[in-house]
Amino acid sequence: MNAPLPWFIAGPLIGLIVPALLILREKQFGISSSYRFIGGVLLPKIPYFSYQKDGDRWQIQFALGLILSGFAAYQVFGAFDAVVIQPVLDYEKLAVNIYDVKNGLQFFLGGILVGFGARYANGCTAGHCIMGVSQFATSSILATVSFFIGGLIGSFFINPLIF
Amino acid sequence: MLKFIITLALGFFFGSILLASQAFSWYRIQEMFHFQSFHMFGLLFSAIATSAVFLFILKRNKQKSIYGNEIEVKPKKLEWKANLFGGLIFGLGWSISGACSAPVYILVGLHWKIGLILLAGAFVGTVLFALVERKLPKA
Repeated sequence: MNAPLPWFIAGPLIGLIVPALLILREKQFGISSSYRFIGGVLLPKIPYFSYQKDGDRWQIQFALGLILSGFAAYQVFGAFDAVVIQPVLDYEKLAVNIYDVKNGLQFFLGGILVGFGARYANGCTAGHCIMGVSQFATSSILATVSFFIGGLIGSFFINPLIF
Repeated sequence: MLKFIITLALGFFFGSILLASQAFSWYRIQEMFHFQSFHMFGLLFSAIATSAVFLFILKRNKQKSIYGNEIEVKPKKLEWKANLFGGLIFGLGWSISGACSAPVYILVGLHWKIGLILLAGAFVGTVLFALVERKLPKA
């Protein structure tokens, strides 16, 4: 599993999910609303979570498919993690497996920002970058630019300090 | 049941592509933000282009869903402060955890310990947002 599936195959296949979801499921591509749905199940007393969540139920099924794909990959290929990428960055930690639980705190913090930011921005890489930008929506183009600025700051300035 | 299987299968397909292309990986995300490979950019741009072409065709053909309904595609509402500030926060999280929302789930299956930590973090972040959202600048 060392060479990745080339982008010119993987990218269009991901793009195909957009019409597939529309035709087969009448849904716009996205995944981060699944977190809101979970909130709606667990903490329905918070106003933001007491919403018509049935429209987001499909995202839990979609998420289940994602989890299964990870599980299947583990069964077939094992934990293909650090190994796959050339360590091209300038800080040393890239030589080790980043997914070690000793990095749990950093991942937890990153997760909080992902969850908070996705809801605040009203979408994530799927809903904004792919679904939204392909509609040429101003909101999604702005969010995508913002994702990248945030990502540059995190990757260049924060990660070398915390990993 | 049919809807469930379709959605599950599409999620599995999506995850498999993210795995095979390594787009789920922390390392690929760092590589992207350091502009050290075209891989992730090509992947995102070609996904967007493919989606845009199909959206155009669906619209032109007035394509109906398999349930016989008109397909409705709505852009997300522009709330520039929310898109901007939320985007920055999301981007920070994306680069630190090396995972956006979909890879969080993939990692639950692949590396369940880190995956569950990430998922717990993402849920805590969502709850924090739910608690403060009325006070945040949006439009």
